[in-house]
Amino acid sequence: MKRLEPFILVAALLAGCATQAPQPGTVVAADRFTRQVVPGRTTRAELVAAFGQTKSVVFDSGYETWLYSANAAGGRSEEVVVLLDREGIVRKLRRRPPYPTDPQR
Amino acid sequence: MRSLIGGALLLSSLLSCLPWAAAQETAPTPAPAPQTVTVTSTRDPVDKSYRKMIRGMERFERQHALAPQATLRFRLLPRLPSVHMRGITLKVVGDRITVPVPVTPQDNSFVLPRNEQALREDAAVIANRKTTSMTWRAQVITPGLPPDTRRLGDLRLECLVGVEAGLVSNSSPLFGWISNALNSPEQVCNSPDGNFLFFTERPVFSVTLRAGERTEILPFRMLYAGGEQTRDMLDYCDCQVLLDRTYYAPIWDRSWPDDTLVSFEYMDEPAPAPAAEAQP
Repeated sequence: MKRLEPFILVAALLAGCATQAPQPGTVVAADRFTRQVVPGRTTRAELVAAFGQTKSVVFDSGYETWLYSANAAGGRSEEVVVLLDREGIVRKLRRRPPYPTDPQR
Repeated sequence: MRSLIGGALLLSSLLSCLPWAAAQETAPTPAPAPQTVTVTSTRDPVDKSYRKMIRGMERFERQHALAPQATLRFRLLPRLPSVHMRGITLKVVGDRITVPVPVTPQDNSFVLPRNEQALREDAAVIANRKTTSMTWRAQVITPGLPPDTRRLGDLRLECLVGVEAGLVSNSSPLFGWISNALNSPEQVCNSPDGNFLFFTERPVFSVTLRAGERTEILPFRMLYAGGEQTRDMLDYCDCQVLLDRTYYAPIWDRSWPDDTLVSFEYMDEPAPAPAAEAQP
């Protein structure tokens, strides 16, 4: 039985991976995020200091989009996306709620 | 080991069939007097096939019901940062025929004329730019839509026509050829993994679908070619310089009707009023 234990452990870990995919961006509290992040004013440095690094896409124009996640009801997650301009100032912010048709995490 | 030797023998016999191998064997024979061949143009293996593009146009006619009011054009878009997108000229070039194709300078779109001789000669559609410096798309647009919107049925038809016409080149020429041979328009356009990219007119920040009462914002993973492209990967994506204009539309998802409106919020415009945000 002792020889089976490592396999059971690995199987349990793999099963966990199959049902709990990591959220795509750093998890934040959405309300706090939208209170503190102000388009036209918040800088990249302030964003990192308050909420940390997260998944981002950098474009040739120098603009960047950053994706954060927020926990929503029913174990689902909401997306919070910000647009930074080439000076590193937040230009836009949007939230995407979870939809019933979204794949389960 | 035996199979290796067998494989080597097979390879050897296959190589001997190649023209250069045959030429080596016949080299001692005195060469006949040289013949003159006039080459009017050279074809690049990545030039667009006229026959395929005509097949794309035929696909448009067969599946016009997806976008009954729409017309079909083709469009040239930049793929390399160095490409100059003004003054593009286009022609259909066969062995003995050349047909100029007018390009609309405002958006680099064009209509491909049908020519039976060019079809017989398996002509190529050639621009005065390196073919790999641009990306090509079908453009299916229903007239009278609200500004900054597209219609999902139009996008479905763009995908089917684009794949049928062999316009998409998201890999190196060799692998692109293999990929095109293995993927039918249905396989690409009816699958969530089809990865058919669409481009907006300007850098996009958010994409929203609306069909009757149902409204949904596309997830981040459906923008910017999935948001996973590294600098090296971008060389093989025809979104190379259009990454900020790139999105996937759920063309495979039949729960969204053809009349679904796809609307865009661009990076350079003010955010919409909160009341307009899509609710789950």
